[in-house]
Amino acid sequence: MTTIRRFCCNDLLRFASVNLDHLTETFNMSFYMTYLARWPDYFRVAVAPGNHIMGYSKFSIAVDLLYYFFAIPNFMGKVEGQGESWHGHVTAVTVAPQYRRQQLAKKLMHLLENISDKMDKAYFVDLFVRASNMPAIKMYEKLGYVIYRRVLHYYSGEEDGLDMRKALSRDVDKKSIIPLKRPITPDELEYD
Amino acid sequence: MAARFGLAGGIPERRVRPIWDAIDSRQFKASLKLANGLLAKYPTSPYALALKALILERMGKPEEALGICLEAKELLHSNNSVHVDYLTLSTLQIVFQRLDHLELATLCYEHACVKYPNNLEIMIGLFNCYVRECSYVKQQQLAMKMYKLVGEERFLLWAVCSIQLQVHCSSTSQKLLQLAEALMKKHMASNSLHDPEALVLYLSLLEQQEKFDAAVEVLSGDLGSLIGIQEDKLRIQGRLLARACNYSAATEIFERVLVSCPDDWEVFLCYLGCLLEDDLNWLKMDATMQICSPSFDDNGACKANHLSNDEFNSRISSAVSLVQRLQTDCNGGFVRGAFLANIEIERRCRLCGTKHDDNFVEALLTYFYRFGHLSCFASDVENFLHLLTLEEKDKFLEKLMKTLESPPASPLKALDQAISIFKVHESLGVMFSLPLTDLEVTTKRMLQMYCKNLTLSKDLDPQENMHGEELLSMISNILVVLFWRTRILGYLLEAIMVLEYGLTIRRYVWQYKIQLVHLYSLLGALPLAYEWYCMLEVKNILVETVSHHILPQMLNSPLWSETGDLLSDYLKFMDDHLRESADLTSVAYRHRNYSKVIEFVQFKERLGHSSRLLTARLDVPILQLKQKANSLEEVECIFENLNCGSKLLEMSNEDKMKILTFNEDFHARPWWSPTPNINYLADNFEEGFPWLKEKLNKKKKAVEEEGIVKKLIERKSLLPRLIYLSIQISPISLKGNVGNGSLHDADAIKEIKSLLEKYARNIGLSFDDAMSLLLAIFKGQKPLKDLGPDIISWLNFTVFVNAWNLCCHQLESPRKDSSMNSWSVVDYMLRSCISEQLTHPETVLAVPGSNLPVLVQLVAEPLAWHILVIQSCIRSMLPAGKKKKKTGLVDSLNSSYAHAVCDSVQCLISVLQDIGKWVSNQIRKSEDQDVDRLLSHLQRSSSQEELGSILSILEASESMSVSEVGERISAALQSWSAATVCRKISAAQHSLLSQFLSICESKLKLLYSINKSI
Repeated sequence: MTTIRRFCCNDLLRFASVNLDHLTETFNMSFYMTYLARWPDYFRVAVAPGNHIMGYSKFSIAVDLLYYFFAIPNFMGKVEGQGESWHGHVTAVTVAPQYRRQQLAKKLMHLLENISDKMDKAYFVDLFVRASNMPAIKMYEKLGYVIYRRVLHYYSGEEDGLDMRKALSRDVDKKSIIPLKRPITPDELEYD
Repeated sequence: MAARFGLAGGIPERRVRPIWDAIDSRQFKASLKLANGLLAKYPTSPYALALKALILERMGKPEEALGICLEAKELLHSNNSVHVDYLTLSTLQIVFQRLDHLELATLCYEHACVKYPNNLEIMIGLFNCYVRECSYVKQQQLAMKMYKLVGEERFLLWAVCSIQLQVHCSSTSQKLLQLAEALMKKHMASNSLHDPEALVLYLSLLEQQEKFDAAVEVLSGDLGSLIGIQEDKLRIQGRLLARACNYSAATEIFERVLVSCPDDWEVFLCYLGCLLEDDLNWLKMDATMQICSPSFDDNGACKANHLSNDEFNSRISSAVSLVQRLQTDCNGGFVRGAFLANIEIERRCRLCGTKHDDNFVEALLTYFYRFGHLSCFASDVENFLHLLTLEEKDKFLEKLMKTLESPPASPLKALDQAISIFKVHESLGVMFSLPLTDLEVTTKRMLQMYCKNLTLSKDLDPQENMHGEELLSMISNILVVLFWRTRILGYLLEAIMVLEYGLTIRRYVWQYKIQLVHLYSLLGALPLAYEWYCMLEVKNILVETVSHHILPQMLNSPLWSETGDLLSDYLKFMDDHLRESADLTSVAYRHRNYSKVIEFVQFKERLGHSSRLLTARLDVPILQLKQKANSLEEVECIFENLNCGSKLLEMSNEDKMKILTFNEDFHARPWWSPTPNINYLADNFEEGFPWLKEKLNKKKKAVEEEGIVKKLIERKSLLPRLIYLSIQISPISLKGNVGNGSLHDADAIKEIKSLLEKYARNIGLSFDDAMSLLLAIFKGQKPLKDLGPDIISWLNFTVFVNAWNLCCHQLESPRKDSSMNSWSVVDYMLRSCISEQLTHPETVLAVPGSNLPVLVQLVAEPLAWHILVIQSCIRSMLPAGKKKKKTGLVDSLNSSYAHAVCDSVQCLISVLQDIGKWVSNQIRKSEDQDVDRLLSHLQRSSSQEELGSILSILEASESMSVSEVGERISAALQSWSAATVCRKISAAQHSLLSQFLSICESKLKLLYSINKSI
């Protein structure tokens, strides 16, 4: 039961049951609020009966497509890059424990891919994931993402990140997802 | 960053860049050196000064930074030839903001705006200053000025936002909205609108003025296409139509949304509400909110009472056919909304009495057969379950249990379905009425089910949720019920063991951790509770919503340093947010997201008025006072920074209490403590389900909690000032008659009296009645228990009354009977209350929810405040400049007063010695002895021997082979041991008691030295 609507500040006071999960980071306020202030349409929350937050997600135009889900799914996202590197970026995906295993993440990812594809005419969608987070990597692979490259010490200078991508319809030859042979460092990321 | 240096206050960029680079890399010393060099070359450059101030502020030298900023500001004002640009102003603004002097930054910008009247950049800077200061009227005026200057739509909308904020936040007349509407209309006539947010803002203006038809017209016209997501547009349209009471049109719109989003539950409720023309209490939300939620009472009191039966039935039929269509369209997926809709329709029919009640139960069952294996099943139907009558409940449960006899073929589905059934049991409170033996059997069966199904999780990644995880939480809950009903400690320990066992297998389950936080707190193993709380990694906004799980217990504990850390982390988060929030509002203005502007301002107000925040602001100084209470001088230093406690008094004024917000998320709290101030386990279990249902009504409890918290805040706000005045006025009596004292003394006495009256009212009685009760207890005419549960507040009151009485002598008997003075009352009350706490023969280990927190508070608060009063008296008795006197005070003063002080000191010494003995006795036993004792509770005999004990089931699981459960789970099972958990509990209890003992010992030491000096 997913009433998907814009995320609002008051939802920050109700997402504890999603964010207490160890894989869901609770960011500082300016992180969430900057997204809300800049891309409010792309920061959405899904609510279950009884007003439980199922998850959330967000993304934005012109920078980076991120989504995320809480105890109820939601996502945050944005779009970034120029020319053929114009793409959506998924920042985080999280679903509350009791709403997992219902293909909720799939639903939200599709929603985001659709917006990036149809509305923003992006070439691809990408996301970063901890190299150790096998369940997530497997899930993204199931959804059609491939490992494009490894970013060394991406997470707080410790753990490597994997940059995973999925080509959208505008990238007819799927050039955007041809894997890079060598790993890169965070400094080499294009949009830093 | 280069752009930042373009017009660097008239200084060449190459000179400024190294300074910024050094600041950015946090090399403040180097940057200061460079800034000094720059200043030597450009001594009158406000920009160079601003840079230096910025560096000094970062180096933690706020006063120097402020001085330099003021110098720069002075230059801007006095020197007409000085170079002023946006960069200089914004740098100054940053420093002023960090120094909490927003008004000075505003003055700089205002001055610059006068100097350069049409500079848009500076005007925008000034607008942002007004945003930070919440000066909505000035914002509006300036935005209009910019709009007139350049004619850009965004400035008009900034002005409209500023008007809305005046109406929202400053209770300005709604008439202003007409002005805003007229401004927008005029603009739209010539320029139309180009921004979806501009449209949303305009719609919200209309909606706030209840011009719903006009709003619908705008949205249905060309402008409506500005809203890119069609469903969002339809939702707004539906709400507007519903608010305009055009129900049939609204129904149609909501139906369209449902066809494209069949899972949208909120829209379904709106659809049904409009279809049946319920008297919905549509939320006074405006178009800035996309959702159209009407507010439904849990019981859905909305009855379509004006529709005839035939009409009602015909409309219900159309709802049924829509739902059937939706179900067909989404058959086979995870879309639940269209199926849950059947239950909602039956609920409505039932309310109107048009259908047989059986249909309601049937609808629930149908939903269960379809989605019973999903872990959200129980929460989906939770609100409906509470509407079942006792008879329906039995019928429903009976049918559910039957499904267990023929479970689904897939073991995973069977497990998940069984879990849903257990959750329904839990939700209906079955555990409160089942016979004890049945309950015990159920827990064991559930545990066996968990262990048996570990094989299903064999190949899961350790980070993934395991199958059946929820079973352990439920088992633990039932074991706590068993404890409540029997008072057998073993059950409580089993509840802990089960959760610890689960965390050994997978350490990420936060639900277990929260349950353990509460169970360990109850068991007097607070350090362990704190440890698990820390493992939850609660940070950022979660500190506001989640810290209630630990903070209340910590505040009443001897773990002062950890409590201080929790409070300072919390306050840092809140203060940072309150400071930064306006900058984020500026970002929303800049990106033309006007709905977020209003939302951010309201959210900042919500957090700013948080009850948790207010309480923490009071808890910090009170904690400091507790920590320093052994030294009168240090306490006085604290008061110097607290404005002698006067400012704290203002924190509980009526206006603040009215707008208090309660943001805690109580959802994850254990059933037995739905709010921090309620603990059902403290009372005995009483049979009777209806009573329990009432008692466990979380909503009602949350309202009660709000009342309790308001009282608590008032008491806490009075406390520091009462302590301060008590210390100040106690020596007055030594100066002789109060009439001879200074005017200042008289004021202090008057003030303490009025505060005591307030304090007495807060604890439930008038001042006179409170005094009478105290005296009656003192004289043995009434028992101590007449004070009620909050003895700490009563004893604080007694201590302060004594201080006040020293000057007023109201409590002395006409016969000057020395035993009747107020010192004796304090001594008596402290001695009686404390010895009552010490009479329990059991050790802390054996008494969950023991009296330890009360004992700790008695020592840390009233007893400590009383020692401060004594210290203050003694200091005034001693001649100035002389700390020690060769002859004792008693000899020199020879007064009943001095005797009373001596008696009181003696009394406190003996009381603390008693506590010391009691605590030492508790920790005398070795850890091994404790472990044996705890384990013996777990190995008690059971009425259901064939199932074995909970412990034996846990231990038996250790033998599961690697091939069954995989290496990781197998290794975890091997490593788990009940004895290790018992050892941790014992160590935590010992550590808590030791810390308490050292507090008592430090106070004893102080009293010995006082005793020696008199």
